[in-house]
Amino acid sequence: MVDASLKRPLSFDVNGKTVNVDVAPMARLLDVLREDLHLTGAKEGCGEGECGACAVIVDDKLVNSCLIPALQARGASVRTIEGVAKGDVLHDVQKAFLTWGGAQCGICTPGMVLAAVSLLEKNPKPTEQDVRVALAGNLCRCTGYMKIFESVLKACETAMARESASEAAR
Amino acid sequence: MKPFAYSRETGLDHALARGKEDGVRYLAGGTTLIDLMRLGVEEPSTVVDLRALPLRDIKADGDGVQIGALATNTEVAYHPLIAKAYPVLSEALLSGASPQLRNMASVGGNLLQRTRCSYFRDPSSPCNKRMAGSGCPALDGYNRSNAILGVSSSCIATHPSDMAVALLALDAVVHVRGGGGERAVPMGDFHVAPGSTPAVETALQKGEIITHVTVPASPFAQRSHYVKVRDRASYAFALSSAAVALDVSGGVVKSARVVLGGVATKPWRATEAEAELVGKPPTSMSFDAAGAAAVRGAVPRTHNAFKVELAKRTVARALRDLVGKA
Amino acid sequence: MKNRLIGTSVPRKEAFDKVTGRARYVDDVSFPGMIYGTTVRSKVARGRLRGIALGPGIPWDEFVVVTAKDIPGINAIHLINDDQPCLADGVINHPEEPVVLLAHPDKHLLEKARQAVVLDIDELPAVHSIEDALAKTAVVWGEDNIFKRYTIEKGDIAEAFANADVILEGHYETGAQEQLYIENNGVIASYSEEAGVTIWGSLQCPYYIQKALIPLFGVGPERARVIQLETGGGFGGKEEYPSMIASHAALLAKKAGVPVKIIYDRAEDMAATTKRHPSRTVVRAAVMRDGTVVGLDIDFAIDGGAYSTLSQVVLSRGLIHAAGPYSCPNVHILGRAVATNSPPHGAFRGFGAPQSIFALERHLDEIGKYLGIAPDEIRRRNFVKPGQTLATGQVVRDDVDMNVLLDRALEAAGWGDKKARFAVENREEGSVKRGIGLATFLHGTGFTGSGEKFLASIVGVEATADGHVRVLAASTEIGQGTNTIFAQIAGDALGVDYDVIQVGQPDTAFVPNSGPTVASRTCTIVGKLVETAALGLRQTLLGSGLLEEPYSSEQFVKACSAYVARSGELRAYAEYKQPPYIKWDEDTFKGDAYGAYSWAVYVASVKVDTLTYEATVEDFVALQEVGKVIHPTLAAGQIEGGVAQGIGWALYENVVWKNGRMANDRMTDYIMPTSVDLPPIRALFAESPYSYGPSGAKGIGELPMDGPGPAIVNAILDAVGIGIPRIPATPEVVMEAYLANTSVTRVCRATEVARG
Repeated sequence: MVDASLKRPLSFDVNGKTVNVDVAPMARLLDVLREDLHLTGAKEGCGEGECGACAVIVDDKLVNSCLIPALQARGASVRTIEGVAKGDVLHDVQKAFLTWGGAQCGICTPGMVLAAVSLLEKNPKPTEQDVRVALAGNLCRCTGYMKIFESVLKACETAMARESASEAAR
Repeated sequence: MKPFAYSRETGLDHALARGKEDGVRYLAGGTTLIDLMRLGVEEPSTVVDLRALPLRDIKADGDGVQIGALATNTEVAYHPLIAKAYPVLSEALLSGASPQLRNMASVGGNLLQRTRCSYFRDPSSPCNKRMAGSGCPALDGYNRSNAILGVSSSCIATHPSDMAVALLALDAVVHVRGGGGERAVPMGDFHVAPGSTPAVETALQKGEIITHVTVPASPFAQRSHYVKVRDRASYAFALSSAAVALDVSGGVVKSARVVLGGVATKPWRATEAEAELVGKPPTSMSFDAAGAAAVRGAVPRTHNAFKVELAKRTVARALRDLVGKA
Repeated sequence: MKNRLIGTSVPRKEAFDKVTGRARYVDDVSFPGMIYGTTVRSKVARGRLRGIALGPGIPWDEFVVVTAKDIPGINAIHLINDDQPCLADGVINHPEEPVVLLAHPDKHLLEKARQAVVLDIDELPAVHSIEDALAKTAVVWGEDNIFKRYTIEKGDIAEAFANADVILEGHYETGAQEQLYIENNGVIASYSEEAGVTIWGSLQCPYYIQKALIPLFGVGPERARVIQLETGGGFGGKEEYPSMIASHAALLAKKAGVPVKIIYDRAEDMAATTKRHPSRTVVRAAVMRDGTVVGLDIDFAIDGGAYSTLSQVVLSRGLIHAAGPYSCPNVHILGRAVATNSPPHGAFRGFGAPQSIFALERHLDEIGKYLGIAPDEIRRRNFVKPGQTLATGQVVRDDVDMNVLLDRALEAAGWGDKKARFAVENREEGSVKRGIGLATFLHGTGFTGSGEKFLASIVGVEATADGHVRVLAASTEIGQGTNTIFAQIAGDALGVDYDVIQVGQPDTAFVPNSGPTVASRTCTIVGKLVETAALGLRQTLLGSGLLEEPYSSEQFVKACSAYVARSGELRAYAEYKQPPYIKWDEDTFKGDAYGAYSWAVYVASVKVDTLTYEATVEDFVALQEVGKVIHPTLAAGQIEGGVAQGIGWALYENVVWKNGRMANDRMTDYIMPTSVDLPPIRALFAESPYSYGPSGAKGIGELPMDGPGPAIVNAILDAVGIGIPRIPATPEVVMEAYLANTSVTRVCRATEVARG
């Protein structure tokens, strides 16, 4: 066991709530999310930043939590897959993945959904090429990506349709 | 991973002081260091986090541009001062890593990126870079990704950075701060070939920190291009790459830059290739001649012999594309 | 029975949990007191184990240490020949051979300890290629390094070769391929004297593991329980290997007295677990001037690695598919699976067929090129028709016309237009050339020959107290959609809504053995049993007086619930019955190899940069006849995903071997396609129902692995006139072929034969 005296206090925001944990200095953000906070949606696929299964959004940027020392997250604002839906109400991207075949085995899905959410927050009307580039750091072995692209683009359509409907209502 | 102490510094002077301690490693984006710590290649006793230092700005610098060492690869690649004026730099950055790694990786860290040589990355294997005098299994082992230029009998590890290749083509200068103050190191002197001391990779001294990089205005910067041949289109290291830049006027090349990546132990400026181009019209013939000149003196090994031909052709491809698109 | 669910894209059963991060995979689960396990491996390709020493600097008394002598029963991973030890004892046959197991609560210390174990091994000469194995440079298995040899004979091969106009010979090779599911192999094991072993894990075949645990621990099935958790991809990689990791965790758990979790990291998973068998095929074809192939003499060899495991089954599938969807009247196929000193190769989507299909489909294009016959035309001249026989003598019963499929695929791919356009463009100056290529093939559904009969799979359905119906099967959801299609099939059989159907967790204590989740059998074979069992349950309910036709979903649920309240339980089972026409001789490989085949035409458009030798796929059309599409979105997803893996196998995924060990055991160095590497993949379907599949469905899971390799390499041939003999066609492989020569005789020997 890691000597408890080596542990350091860490405070940061996860999905809008401040958390305080004591962490070993070599803990990665991924370890703290999964083991201390029981947010197991982020997965460890490779541990070297290649596969993106551990992707989370830190201070509005998509990053790989397996390459971030947990202590580097001090004061940061972290969003994980668990914070994407509002309770049981799914985000457009999640709904689209569910409907259009974006998820198969599901292990890459949390990282993939976050990558898509991160893209749409910066670019609400991406082309398929934009989607491809934005997801290039998230590996999927099941889908061949086609249904994932489709899901992300359908999510944009949904969001845009809602926007124009609400504009029309005004 | 071996336990280590962690601290975050917010001021440059404090950070520099910490750098003198034994077993300290500076941390920026983490994409190299944390990976190597996980593998047991790096085992610092203390990690000093530099990310909070005020070294992130990208701003005009006379006619050129100044890039803070902590600017992320994403910030640099898409910055309006870079994307238009220095296409080769933007292209090189976007050809490297993946979106989330580019969000993390810094310019300073990218310059100091360690090799992907599989023997270097495996602590149970000998490696002269990791452990002086232990030997180099890559010489006769699996060396597909290893270098053919700038090699020595101690080390044939390839320098992995795309960005550094582009910066060298742009005559960039690396600015560092240490106990003795500031100094400026031209890109051409920043990385060093392994020779008999492969552990020494750059001109950076212990306790020094890269503060920023300056890229001057030049007649060829805007007509510049990066081509990378690799096994796939995202997150793969170059089998061979070329950063090229041309100043053409009156149908004749006035000056040229040809820098190779993926095939050498450091970003490799091919001055002989440049000489083949200057004073001639930019044609396929001179491009092919430049390609041939670029790999003169190459030392191929069992699995990387293809790189000689490939590097030659990468240079020709980059020059053709450059002229085609201009 | 009316289809209301089948044929529609209902939401995937477990999708909500997957998109919200709530789905629980093995590494997301922990138990009180649980500790972690790890494996010390041989590192030496072949040798004699002299001793094991626990090195200094580690508090060994805190560790649980397991070696071969701790195994209570038989030291083997039970499969077919049982030649693979669970832990090496005396002999080392590959560099990832497990020797010592360690467990400790601290993962970091555990890793240190793993490195501190010193194995004393005397090295012996090893074999690292199919050629060396056949040449017996060292004998590393049995008497001749051959795990298994099969032959297929049809007609009179000697006569065909004597009378042919042309004989063309080609040598083709395919590399190993890592499954690269994004979730690594992992299990948790617990042990108690009363309950025996319990395994929770990421796996495809719960009953395989149970069968492995029984002899290893010397217990009965009631004391070896296996539960599948959400599984992050398999593709064959979690077919037989989990028996190994589960056995290891169980041995540690027994000695530790607490649950033990073993999760491989990526490097260990890539280096130590199974991969696709490398292959080398020599095809000799006797051909008439008009392109009719009158004789095929094929020598097909696969590298099985150090132990026999599933190699003989992979070999048989490769062999049966080696002569393709063609009517060639004279065929001789020799198949051999050989031993080398690498970790055993194993199941991977396609299971031997992609390897042999690659050789034949490549060779057809070389024949066409030699004779001046277009790739589509030479195939038309050889397609098998219903009523004609395949290589095993099986009469084609499927109602399929390959010409129609070919027409449709070529049309969708814009074959004619592209051919014309590329011919013009490729003549222009410029180093980028384009080409288009195709592959036509078939793939058998389910286990070979009598395999399904011996499996005798069973499926149950039961009513729950609240009136839902739960499907009970050991068939696992690994991303391909098992839960969803079972619910569709059962729902339509019962005439109820999708939500009424639940699918039980595969747990050997609660579900019957519906066989392994492999061989494209889940939908067709197991799905049919789901349908039959559901119809049985419906019959019981209708006979009970609690339900009358016609009924609504709500009435059905009420009736179910009432039945359970009255009688305690309501269950129905169905057991596999082989279609009566299937006759198969396992010794001579004659007869009906499969109950049915799926048929396909794949077309790839590629771009080749002749300066940098990079080949890129720009468009891909995958058309298949699959009987019936149960779920359009899932089916297309299966095809697209399989094609992506096929593109990886063809162009990118290169396993580099060093003394029997995978040298590039990182995702950074082993290159699978990313989102920016793949072309649009257009999955198209044709439907010609199979009467023994649910609503006519045949298998689709493996099919998409077969076509991309040859279609892409054939497109490279079209683009630059170079026949690439092996995949993956990385830039240096293309360069090598390019610089060697551009002529087809580099690949094929052509002999003009005087006609008598």
